[in-house]
Amino acid sequence: MARHRSTLVLCLLASSIWGLARADGEEAEPEKVAAARRFDEVVAPLLARRCLECHNASDNKGELDLTRSEGVLGKSARVVPGKPDESYFWERIASDEMPPKKPLDAAEKAVLHEWIAAGAVWGTDPIDRFRFTSDARAGHDWWSLQAVVRPEPPPSARPDWTRGPIDQFVVARLKSQGLEPSPAADRRTLVRRLYFDLTGLPPAPEEVAKFVADDDPLAYERLVDRLLASPDYGERWARHWLDLARFGESNGFEYDEPRRNAWPYRDWVINALNRDLPYDEFARQQLAGDVLLPDDREAIKATGFLVAGAYDTAGQNQQSLAMKAVVRQDELEDIVSTVGQTFLGLTVHCARCHDHKFDPIRQNEYYQLACSLEGVRHGERDITDPAELVAFVARAAVAQARITALSARIQAIEDPIRGRILADRKTGLADKSAVLPPAPLARWEFAGDLRDSVGRLHGKEHGGVTVRDDGLHLDGKEAHVTTGPLEKDLHAKTLEVWLSLANLQQAGGGAISVQSNDGGVFDAIVFGERESAQWMAGSNSFLRTQSFAGEPEVEAARRTVHLAIVYAEDGAITGYRDGRPYGKPYRSSGLVTFRAGEANILFGLRHAPVGGNRMLEGVIARAQLFDRALTAEEVAGSAAGADAFVSEAEIVAGLSSEETAERRVAIDERGRLETERAARPKQVCYAVLPRQPETSHLLVRGDIRNRGPVVAAGGVASLGGASANFALPPDAPEAARRVALARWITSPRNPLFGRVIVNRLWHYHFGVGLVEMPNDFGFNGGRPANPELLDYLAATLAARGWSLKQLHREIVLSATYRQASTRRADAVARDADNRLVWRKSPQRLEAEAVRDAVLAVSGQLNHARGGPGFRDCTEVLRSGTYTYEPADPVGDAFNRRSIYRVWMRGGRSGLLDAFDCPDPSTTSPKRAVTTTPLQALALLNNAFVLRMADAFAGRVEREAGGNLDQEVTRAYQLAYSRDPGPEELTLARQTVSQHGLAVLARAIFNSNEFLYVE
Amino acid sequence: MSSSESNREVPLTLGRRDFFSWVSSGLGGAALAGLLLREGRVSAAPLPGEAADLPPHLPAKARRVVHICLCGALSHIDSFDYKPALAKYHGQPLPSSEKPDVFFGQVGLLRKNDWEFQRRGRSGLWVSELFPHIAQAADELTVINSMFAETSNHTPATFQENTGFRLNGFPTLGAWLSYGLGSETDELPSFVVIPDARGFPAGGTINWTNGFLPARHQGVVFRSKGPAIDDLAPARPIDLGQERAARELLTAMNQRHLASRGADDALAARVRSYELAAKMQLAVPQVTNLDGETAATHALYGLDSPDTVDFGRGCLLARRLLERGVRFVQLFSGGSFGNPRINWDGHENMPANHSQEAKRIDRPVAGLLADLRQRGLLDDTLVLFTTEFGRTPFSQSAADVVGLGRDHNQYGFSIWMAGAGLRKGIAYGATDEFGYQAVDKRVHWNDFHATVLHLLGIEHERLTFYHNGIRRRLTNVQGNVLGDVLV
Repeated sequence: MARHRSTLVLCLLASSIWGLARADGEEAEPEKVAAARRFDEVVAPLLARRCLECHNASDNKGELDLTRSEGVLGKSARVVPGKPDESYFWERIASDEMPPKKPLDAAEKAVLHEWIAAGAVWGTDPIDRFRFTSDARAGHDWWSLQAVVRPEPPPSARPDWTRGPIDQFVVARLKSQGLEPSPAADRRTLVRRLYFDLTGLPPAPEEVAKFVADDDPLAYERLVDRLLASPDYGERWARHWLDLARFGESNGFEYDEPRRNAWPYRDWVINALNRDLPYDEFARQQLAGDVLLPDDREAIKATGFLVAGAYDTAGQNQQSLAMKAVVRQDELEDIVSTVGQTFLGLTVHCARCHDHKFDPIRQNEYYQLACSLEGVRHGERDITDPAELVAFVARAAVAQARITALSARIQAIEDPIRGRILADRKTGLADKSAVLPPAPLARWEFAGDLRDSVGRLHGKEHGGVTVRDDGLHLDGKEAHVTTGPLEKDLHAKTLEVWLSLANLQQAGGGAISVQSNDGGVFDAIVFGERESAQWMAGSNSFLRTQSFAGEPEVEAARRTVHLAIVYAEDGAITGYRDGRPYGKPYRSSGLVTFRAGEANILFGLRHAPVGGNRMLEGVIARAQLFDRALTAEEVAGSAAGADAFVSEAEIVAGLSSEETAERRVAIDERGRLETERAARPKQVCYAVLPRQPETSHLLVRGDIRNRGPVVAAGGVASLGGASANFALPPDAPEAARRVALARWITSPRNPLFGRVIVNRLWHYHFGVGLVEMPNDFGFNGGRPANPELLDYLAATLAARGWSLKQLHREIVLSATYRQASTRRADAVARDADNRLVWRKSPQRLEAEAVRDAVLAVSGQLNHARGGPGFRDCTEVLRSGTYTYEPADPVGDAFNRRSIYRVWMRGGRSGLLDAFDCPDPSTTSPKRAVTTTPLQALALLNNAFVLRMADAFAGRVEREAGGNLDQEVTRAYQLAYSRDPGPEELTLARQTVSQHGLAVLARAIFNSNEFLYVE
Repeated sequence: MSSSESNREVPLTLGRRDFFSWVSSGLGGAALAGLLLREGRVSAAPLPGEAADLPPHLPAKARRVVHICLCGALSHIDSFDYKPALAKYHGQPLPSSEKPDVFFGQVGLLRKNDWEFQRRGRSGLWVSELFPHIAQAADELTVINSMFAETSNHTPATFQENTGFRLNGFPTLGAWLSYGLGSETDELPSFVVIPDARGFPAGGTINWTNGFLPARHQGVVFRSKGPAIDDLAPARPIDLGQERAARELLTAMNQRHLASRGADDALAARVRSYELAAKMQLAVPQVTNLDGETAATHALYGLDSPDTVDFGRGCLLARRLLERGVRFVQLFSGGSFGNPRINWDGHENMPANHSQEAKRIDRPVAGLLADLRQRGLLDDTLVLFTTEFGRTPFSQSAADVVGLGRDHNQYGFSIWMAGAGLRKGIAYGATDEFGYQAVDKRVHWNDFHATVLHLLGIEHERLTFYHNGIRRRLTNVQGNVLGDVLV
């Protein structure tokens, strides 16, 4: 009853709207056109706002897609034209069941009721629910998606104050709110502000004095230019960029392995900023530098951006393929999300499982972006200088020639005596205690080929193996060798290998392995997997693995060592190194039998599949396989090199003293040359190691098991500008995809690319951006405090060739930037957050700047630039898992700027954390500024701070020694860029005279004036 | 200790004990009062991103939480989920249409539980002999036997257990509670972490990260050896007079600075933070000093036995922290992965591994429950006992073998809760006949977290923080409060 009455009211309410529609129409057809138009203008936006969030093609709750006429008027007939009361759709709305949380109000209901009653004429099909901005989401008409047009600066209402266009825009906004700007800060404040802002370091007192005394009207401008040209600038602003890049120097997740070669990306960012690489090029190189500039090693480093995030080694190596695929999808989300937020200010990752809830980004567009980046894989790239390589090759050839000559000479000396010894052995004159080894089932000499010199288990190369005279070279990435299937069953057995390792830090690589063809069952000689640098008998799920508890390997990176593992019938497993027992044998749960035809031999890979920590990096000189358990004597004999073995002692005993001396000299020289020949220059960096991906699919609800249509690389259509259709087929080469993406993102017509970066600059200069959320220019990020100014800056940046330094310059030269930071009660009352910039808000130094300022003021800062960083933690490796304990290393090498601190994800710094240093797990567009007792404790008591307080005191004493007043004054000048007032001087003097200068130094480091820049 | 005042003129090097007595008599007097500001708040202005309607949203049943987090994955079928079919079908393959998809890819034969189960207490809850002491408290427990995880990879699963997400970078439960509820004391951190004495879990500090919440919500590690927290006392010995002089000078300098800058919240908050730091310097050594506890209490927690002393100390410290107003204490049972095993990851040998681990915690956890009960704290304290996933009912071995170890099992496992607002002595939900997959009333971590928040007076959909495009929640976009386990 109640429902009928309200329906009646609704009809009356609605009739005015539809009456209008009818009045517009003349004939029947035009009437239908008008109704369709009316649908587009009135009904569709209402549906979009209130219904389509849940009932659309990608997220069709109740199997209802209200974006298409088919879903409403089609077979299911949710709406019966002309008959609201017979329409299921209307029934649910009228009863307030739908929408579930906030039912439609009377006017909204009226629109829908009358639309049905009038015949339910549909308009544009399907409804584009992203077209219009509503109170719930941004549409195509959202401010940030409109083209950037350079606005004309408004005439200034304060010509006495304004210095340029920025000020004209600012003062116009201030005036509109009845506010006045603040006067300029004093010169001391300005110089201090500029130094910290542009270089992250305090000015030297002499610089302050010079600037304050300089009455040249261009003095400020000259200072700005000098600071922008200083290499300190890059070190300061690169830190901001690394926050966005979620740059960490370990993998995170379970293993958290260190990335020892991640620093080249950090240096690339510093250098790129210092040489003012145009921002569009800066972006392009980070997305696709390796393919855009294939001959530029620097451009490879730039791609470190894409893979600077965490990497789940354990997840990528697990046996469950389904779960592995989920891990990879999570990894892609990290990459897509960081790219989207950093360069576009768009939270595209929110569209992984459904269309974006707030912004006009469709789910398939997320997958287009993911497809564009799907070839991105974490890895290390060789960036060795080719010139260095050429020089090396020439050097190596010379060395090789000399080695050959020396070897011939040594052989000439040894051969007669060796021949005599072997002859004597045959005739029974020599000691026969050396037991000859049995014949192996297979033997690989790896002297230029992969042949089995005994049987038919010849090797086959995979993943870039190289075979040289000295053996099989494995790169630890994908290189490995497999043989054909075993020709007889293998139960008891002996695995034997002669090899050297590229490094002793590697963990988990297999030297030689017998495995079932699918890799599910295996026995292998494995290095370092569960205990650092120890050899072990690897097996599937460690079923036959226990620790030998042998000595950690220390030599295999320098020379070839011999390893053997003997698997006896009774399950006993014994290890040998250089022919001698390695640690203790143990009894396993029992051997497995590897069946003929169902198993094969591997070199360089612990077991299939390829990848993960299973790959060995080193050189295998030789290997043998026996189908029985050798005795200790047999292993010793085999290690000694079979029957041709003559010991060093035997040879030396047979030589004259002259021969001995000559041989010694030759051997020593040959050793040196071999070391030199082996010292191949190699520089690698952590960067994109691209791999051509499989076909990409949209994943319904983000579920890897629920594949939707195939997608090709592409962008987001609502950006306008350059086409989001990259015109690439789904199987396009991955390089082409990234190039297309980079071009699309950096297109001058992309409305977000410029707006986002100029806002970041503003954010760091002023403490808050014109758009408050620097990574979100969508609905949730809100609207800019001064849209014209934002667009002016964006247009200016593009017009000046994307020079960031020129933009910095314009900003810091403005009167807006030069304002005093004094609080004004009148202004606080109107704009407490200072969004309109009526003053320059004081900013607390970020964590790194606190540490750097402490170092600088103490005179301890080591300005060494670039290269591997310093570590303030110790590394604990346990079975492949790394943990990091904070340490307090002392010395100049650790007094570098904080940007050079090696940043482990699992090892954070108490001091830096206390000052809100972010977790490098995700992109951090803005840092929190918090104040806690733990922060106070860190600054009061931390070993580094106390040490620096002593150094600061020492410096002051050196520089102003003897006179208490001068000492206090010097301390104030160094730390605060000013002289103490008379009362301050008295106070400090009292304390210092009684307790020493270090007390003053410590108080200064903890003081608010030191930490806040005005 | 009142000697410090009389020692004023004598230069002396401070031991920690002396230092703290100075803090109380020195700073605790006039100097400390001078640090106080009327309007000073420790947290400055509200941060962008903060939810508009912070809790409480509901009447809270629980005021504080102690979370015992078992690393490596406890076998549910050997502890709280009794499956007689395992004994019956021991040595036979798991009847299943497809090969189970497990972490190491090895599916052996079914293996019976290594510990016998018994019905316990008045409730008759099944608990195995793995935990004989906890079993005696069965009537306090609310067991959930139908948990499932999204991954069988330890670290992402542990992240999800603690943050609701598989990835790095999300705030942990303790950080969310610190953010949502704050602390009941300003002398101690609101979120304290007590790692296993044998080492940090894999991932280290990531396990108690604030994620994108402000850094003050990060878990603070209390160590069992040396000073309990970092930088509590000066890193090198400092002369008593110098210490006082530095503080007084700092106070005077900051006061002058503040006076010249007008009413600035941020500056005032920093001044106040030094007063709170001084209080913390007093409170931390007090709370970590277990000497004042009775011998009976020491025994209750197992401090009298080398097997249980490590975890017992942690549990006793947890109770003391909770009593003093700490919101969330998290105890880790188990360190990182690898061999020899120092956590619950029993791939090779379940009897050896789980015996070793259970022995360390069984008495201390039971002691903690009993002590909280006898002190009346259990009525408004929540005890959580969780692990990242369970273990397989079949062994990790060749297909025709009953091996000694069990692989990871994300499809079904058990956890328990105890204390405030919960129905006691019940088992909720169930796995299948073999304990392989949760089948009845399946519970996701989002549901678990929603329930925990509910008990603390928080509607999980309203505790949000804006980050990179989304109003993030502990429960992602899901989560249902488990009404059936609530009183």
